[in-house]
Amino acid sequence: MTTIVLAVLATAGVTGPGSPTVECRLPHAVSPEFYVIELVSTRRIPGSGATTGRVDVTFASSPFGVSLTENGDYLRDLEINVSNLRAPDQGSFVVWVTTPQLDSIERIGVLSDGTLRGQVRWNKFLVVVSLEQDDASTAPRWAGPIVLRGMSKSGAMHTSAGHGPFETENCAAYGFTG
Amino acid sequence: MRPALLIVGLVLWSSSAAGQQVVDPIGSGDSLVWRMPPTSPNMQRLMAPFMGIIPDVSPFLPGPGVDIGTLPEATVGAVVQLTDGDTLRLEATLLRREIEGQTVKVYGFNGQSPGPTIRVPQHATIIVEFTNHIDFPTTLRWHGVRVDNQSDGVPGQTQSPVRVGETYTAEVYFPDAGAFWYHPHQRGHIAQELGLYGAIIVDSPDLEYYSSVNLEEVLLLDDVLLDDLGILPFGFEAPVQALMGRFGNVQLINGQPDFRRTVSKGDVVRLFLIDASNTRPFNLRLEGGVRMKLVGGDLGKFEREEWVSSVIIAPGQRYTVEVMFDEEGEFALTNRITAVDHFLGEFEYQVDTLAIFEVSSEPTESDLSDVFETLKTYDGGFDEIRAQAGRPVDEELVLSLRIGALPLPVIRMLEIDTLYYPPVEFNDAMPMMNWLSTGMNVLWLLHEPSPGVDPRDLSPAMGWRFRQGDLVKIRLFNDPTSWHPMSHPLHLHGQRFVVLEQDGVPSSNLVWRDTVFVPVGSTVDLMVEMSNPGSWMFNCQIPEHLGAGMSISFQVLPTGA
Repeated sequence: MTTIVLAVLATAGVTGPGSPTVECRLPHAVSPEFYVIELVSTRRIPGSGATTGRVDVTFASSPFGVSLTENGDYLRDLEINVSNLRAPDQGSFVVWVTTPQLDSIERIGVLSDGTLRGQVRWNKFLVVVSLEQDDASTAPRWAGPIVLRGMSKSGAMHTSAGHGPFETENCAAYGFTG
Repeated sequence: MRPALLIVGLVLWSSSAAGQQVVDPIGSGDSLVWRMPPTSPNMQRLMAPFMGIIPDVSPFLPGPGVDIGTLPEATVGAVVQLTDGDTLRLEATLLRREIEGQTVKVYGFNGQSPGPTIRVPQHATIIVEFTNHIDFPTTLRWHGVRVDNQSDGVPGQTQSPVRVGETYTAEVYFPDAGAFWYHPHQRGHIAQELGLYGAIIVDSPDLEYYSSVNLEEVLLLDDVLLDDLGILPFGFEAPVQALMGRFGNVQLINGQPDFRRTVSKGDVVRLFLIDASNTRPFNLRLEGGVRMKLVGGDLGKFEREEWVSSVIIAPGQRYTVEVMFDEEGEFALTNRITAVDHFLGEFEYQVDTLAIFEVSSEPTESDLSDVFETLKTYDGGFDEIRAQAGRPVDEELVLSLRIGALPLPVIRMLEIDTLYYPPVEFNDAMPMMNWLSTGMNVLWLLHEPSPGVDPRDLSPAMGWRFRQGDLVKIRLFNDPTSWHPMSHPLHLHGQRFVVLEQDGVPSSNLVWRDTVFVPVGSTVDLMVEMSNPGSWMFNCQIPEHLGAGMSISFQVLPTGA
């Protein structure tokens, strides 16, 4: 595993579409590459076509090394780093986590200088970065356009029903349609 | 996957069974017949490609030819209090016991399964006379105890296996306080699974080492794999279930599936938790809002006592917690995990009740609530460790897997399975695939980093030599790009270490350990105190992994050598 090279470019006070882009990384040593989440731009915001991001996923601090919620879900720290994203003229980039079904959504916080740290207590989840009119501190979910999104590595798991040697299995019997 | 590829895949899967012995998977009433492990309905759907294939080793069950009715019934492990200079005789024999309504043959010590709990003062030395009357040669080792090298119980390294009918005498010195356990180190995948183990509690001479409690309980965590025909057979020449280890489907505490204890209202209880299972990690929680205070780990106490909502413990590890039952009623000790359902591609919650603590209305004889509310600190001598934490790594090990002649359906399933691996395997999510993997067709490896080297050419790390008194920084990396990576509890013999950091996050509460749990993809840095000279082993605690090669040896040269 390679140690990630860190670089922090100061951007304080720079705003507007013509301003320099943000390149930030928080210091850390060896996040498990296998569980890194790639954030992909939706290109819905002008100037975000080249925006990229990654979310490093590590276990939340625990005397046991592995950290779990009381229900047995993994409890993990997230470190969000976004590159080539211009600071908005107005509003804030807000980071959210949500279950894949979007039935539970939690706000992580405002992306400041392209970086943010937070925590997630689901095993399979999406990370969403949206552009909000304010910091959306009390909002139950995003209201503005999604700028970036990514899915936890566990999202790659797929049902075998209706596929491969189980092609004849009735997907609908397992809650899948279409 | 496109239809054309599907057809190819199915043809390959079907043809793979050709040339191998095909048996009726239902069995003929003879419990020694190979049969797939029982599993959930969803997982059963994944079994179709594997039907008719059996492991490439011979099936084995204890006491072949022995009438089970002639065997003595196993009793529950008693506590044996010993002092310095005492001699303990441990006789390993075949026993009979009932689990979940089935009468099965098990192993035990002195008629007990699990064996007696040894209680001994710190710095005591005892003589153990171990007589082997089980079905095959074995050894006995003292997990976590920094014994003299010749008493470490590693066959072929520190002693010859104790043959059937023979007695081996060991001198065992207990330098550290804490919870430990003893178990066989030859064919442990069979003998340990069948109850041939016991707990050791080493008491500090410092009466204030632990806080005052009303009661103490030793809880040996385990599981056993049963179906309607009894205990599922083991591999004889090599372990089966070599990919993930042998998960049981009946979870046990002190050998019992229905462990109960009655305590008084207000009692504070110290629990010594020992994971004696072959491969199962537990997420232990006391329901009903009973608070748990984490006090100790493998070899003694944490720097700081802290409140925890659950205890995550892996095979070979020990944790000491204190709990207070301040309400009347029944409180369950549960194992709450998220299992992977590979058929649905989803996680599912599983909750198993391991024990019930029944709290009577009778008030405690001694109110220790104030003591319980206090979080103590402990000077474990970690200053030197912290002072050197930032120095370069001395040795690195990569945890990976090399596969051999696995049945083709298993290889096909492994290929499909590459999309995602959970950091921790909390259950046997692929029992049919796991069952067909053996110590003959998979090789678990602890190797040094070898960039650019074909994994098929890798060999176990060799030639580590240290000097007594060295502090050695070792980095472990559980390679997620290997075939079927899995979390591993790695156990270091004869020495103690602290976990400096995991995935770049420094440990904030140190404790001396001998077993570290390394999740998939994780990098864990240890600082090992090489205090004990001799020839030692560093191995995966999962006996099926040990039986599939997951160990290395290293030397600690005595001071002045």
